Amino acid sequence: MKRKLLLLSLLSAAVFTAKAQDSTLTISGSVDTYFKYDFADRKNIGTSFATDHNSMSIGMVDIALKKKLQRASFVGEISFGPRGQEQSLPTGLNGDFYHIQNLYVSYDVTDKFALTAGYMGTFIGYEVISPVGNFNYSTSYLFTNGPFQNAGFKASYVVNDKVSLMAGIFNDVWNGYRSAKKLDNFGAQIGLTPVEGWSAYLNVLTGKTSGTIFDLTTAYQITDAFKLGLNAADWSAPESAGGYTGVALYPQIAVSSIATIGVRAEYFKWKGYTTMEEGVEVDVESQNVKAITLTANIKGGPLTFIPEVRLDSWNNDGNFLKKNGTPSKQASQFVLAAVYAF
Amino acid sequence: MFAFGVALAHAQTTDSLSFDENDKYIYYQVASEPSVNTDTLYNRALHFLKTAYPSDQLKLNKENKSKLSLTGTGGFMVRKKALVSLQPNAKIEFDLTIEVKGDKYRYWLTNFVVVPYQRDRYANYVPVSGKKIPLEHGYRKLGQKDTDDYIDKLLMNCRWVGAKLKSYMAKTSGLSPAETKLKKIITKEW
Repeated sequence: MKRKLLLLSLLSAAVFTAKAQDSTLTISGSVDTYFKYDFADRKNIGTSFATDHNSMSIGMVDIALKKKLQRASFVGEISFGPRGQEQSLPTGLNGDFYHIQNLYVSYDVTDKFALTAGYMGTFIGYEVISPVGNFNYSTSYLFTNGPFQNAGFKASYVVNDKVSLMAGIFNDVWNGYRSAKKLDNFGAQIGLTPVEGWSAYLNVLTGKTSGTIFDLTTAYQITDAFKLGLNAADWSAPESAGGYTGVALYPQIAVSSIATIGVRAEYFKWKGYTTMEEGVEVDVESQNVKAITLTANIKGGPLTFIPEVRLDSWNNDGNFLKKNGTPSKQASQFVLAAVYAF
Repeated sequence: MFAFGVALAHAQTTDSLSFDENDKYIYYQVASEPSVNTDTLYNRALHFLKTAYPSDQLKLNKENKSKLSLTGTGGFMVRKKALVSLQPNAKIEFDLTIEVKGDKYRYWLTNFVVVPYQRDRYANYVPVSGKKIPLEHGYRKLGQKDTDDYIDKLLMNCRWVGAKLKSYMAKTSGLSPAETKLKKIITKEW
């Protein structure tokens, strides 16, 4: 507790010093809270956030500091709360939280070429940890099972208005403040803007201990009101221990200047594989889930209300339970969240 | 007819945003520099478009010496206070036209387009991909509060651009390198 108070005091001091001396420091962040009700009256769908059933619960308070002076910049982002601690961050060596979501420095060698090092939100995937960056409040299976952060060193190059490249080396474990042994994962990204409003990122991250993931993240603002997003990924776990494949579509339509309605339609499959248990070969069967989430974003200034209904359906029993406690293939839930961005 | 002409002339010199004949927002001004000739005014306007701002804020697009007309494109960031600091909220892009005639010149900023900004996964503020909203559609697509704010800041920016242009057209800050060349002094002569 003392450590947290000290951290907050230092942050406050930094904020007010910054205000007095340098207006180029950017401070942003969010606060989020939610109510969730699972229609089987028990906790069922294993989404990353919005975990608590029949409860008014908190997400996190998230604060990001950014400063750029000439060519050098830093980002430091800290978070407190379930979403910003055990649900998205690793612990330190003694089991304590560092609260760090992003901590990196960057240097623009030229206007087009930049070098970045530190602990960064992953470049893989469509959804992010910050509730401000997502349309849906609950998260996809692709997000939950993919990397959250990757610590490493990367070089980014903007070829022209339509093409950008990134390559880097990253720690041998996802979501870790330090490597288990080596800084030996390779990651790369090709960013494309085929036409105005359409962005596409082809990503790869591979390493002996963390497997290989290929990812396509793309979004196209087709009209001022209609946006279509897509995320597809394939992860092969290390040592041929399965992995996953999935695809999610994100159509969204703005119905007024303050309200947007969207659907997330996801198919996600755990790959089957064979493993050895006590000298015996055991087949782990493939299983898959289809999840449909209907979400609205209703804005009132910096506050966004997010009502959401979600239905998940596995191909086999055992992942969910009915109201009476018997296994079920399906589960559904309602969420009402509020996110304040600053 | 005369009264209408007077009213129009008055409206054309109002220091505020108006609508043009195509119902687009426009900031239109006419000014004169009685002691400066046409060529010099044109060169100063050209110098202004080339040097007054960094290229991401204003750059020369087209020059037409025969018509004494210059066009440029630019943009400025709208920042909003959040917590204790300012954050990029949107960029407003515009076209600027400068025309010279005799010892007068006129300039106007129009084609205002709002590009909203959002925070990305790395805590950087970046343009929302594919969202470019003409200011004329602002009330419908961005809401009244934001649009009113953008219009206020836009008018302020137009005045700043106009004031800077006037200083280039009138003062040495606007002189091209050829005009600012220092006179040679021959020390052998008294």
